[in-house]
Amino acid sequence: MLHGGASYHVNTLTDPTVLEHDITSLYLPGLVDNSTRSQLADLEALLICDRLHPGLLREHAGALLGVADRGGTIVVLGEVEAHTWLSDVDFSPRPTNFWWWLTGESPGIRRHNADHSIWHYVGPEDVVWHYHGILLPARDVTPLVSTDDGGLVLYEDRSSTAGRLLVSTMDPVHHHGSNFMPAATRFLYGLLRWLAADPE
Amino acid sequence: MAPVLVLTMGTPSALAAQHDLVADLDLYELPQTELKQARGLLVGPHVDQVFLSQYETKLDRFVHGGGRLVVCAQVALPFATGLTRFIPLTYRSVCDLTVHRLAAHPVWRGVAPEDLTFRRGVAGFYGRGFYPDPPRCAQVVHGLGPRRLPLDLVYPLGDGEVLLHGGNDLWGYADDDTTAARMTPQLLAWVLSEPPEKA
Repeated sequence: MLHGGASYHVNTLTDPTVLEHDITSLYLPGLVDNSTRSQLADLEALLICDRLHPGLLREHAGALLGVADRGGTIVVLGEVEAHTWLSDVDFSPRPTNFWWWLTGESPGIRRHNADHSIWHYVGPEDVVWHYHGILLPARDVTPLVSTDDGGLVLYEDRSSTAGRLLVSTMDPVHHHGSNFMPAATRFLYGLLRWLAADPE
Repeated sequence: MAPVLVLTMGTPSALAAQHDLVADLDLYELPQTELKQARGLLVGPHVDQVFLSQYETKLDRFVHGGGRLVVCAQVALPFATGLTRFIPLTYRSVCDLTVHRLAAHPVWRGVAPEDLTFRRGVAGFYGRGFYPDPPRCAQVVHGLGPRRLPLDLVYPLGDGEVLLHGGNDLWGYADDDTTAARMTPQLLAWVLSEPPEKA
């Protein structure tokens, strides 16, 4: 797990449920050191936490994406300006509706490809919460969660690297590590179980 | 240099965009930045505490010299004298999340505690945990739940002061349509005011 030292990153990486998995903790600003960067070479899967410094991610994008170029899986979570360091994807911000569940509004979130392996680990209701924007990929991807206005909140991309990218605009590490929002915790735990199982 | 600096993580702050007296400072430029001209330094919930905790001496020196350090975060790795680890609360009811005013302070003047306890009728946004061991000289402004667990506190350090809130940035309530919106201008006014005379 690549983290950025915020309290919610630190708290998540000391959560016993998270640590049940064989997790290597990588600190983003530490990637300037060769010894830290060389740890990327051994990874089969990399979860890039939400809310990391976009400038540092742009600086290290080549090294990080190397995990997928070697056939591994990378999960990219939200609020990291992924469209500035992943190829062929645009981003459009959306006003965050924290209150849909209170006002009775539909959050406008739809699940796709119900037979995808992720849905064995993540429940349909675990992805129904607020999001901070939508992704508009230019290449052929597998949509997993979309919004009513045609953007994606979660998708899988198997074409831009030899491995796969799972990209989301949601920020579950922030909410889980801030002692907030059970759905975010379930989403994060599900993602980690999916990564650990490494299904095709 | 603007008199108030807000530490950012690669994304501009709305606060600096809206106030001439506030400027953004990328966290990773802190080591090369001279803080002598600044009156206040604002630290929000997204700041890298692994990094910041390496600069405790610099931050302490800033406050000792008369600066005001505002920390709105769940501190996991203390980065200034008097900060301790935030303890998340196991909450069961609104009662556990009710904000109680324990002392008056200019940052919260005219702010109704109910507008902190509830946002759109939902409790828990403002605080979901506490600081168990405030410095002896700290003024605890708000306590959480029946045990009045310390959530907001202000304490002197040298010639300056530290304001600690165990939640998201107080300036994030600027656009609320309740008395909570008062915190932003009052926080800036407090940061820019003269520190209290020593007893």
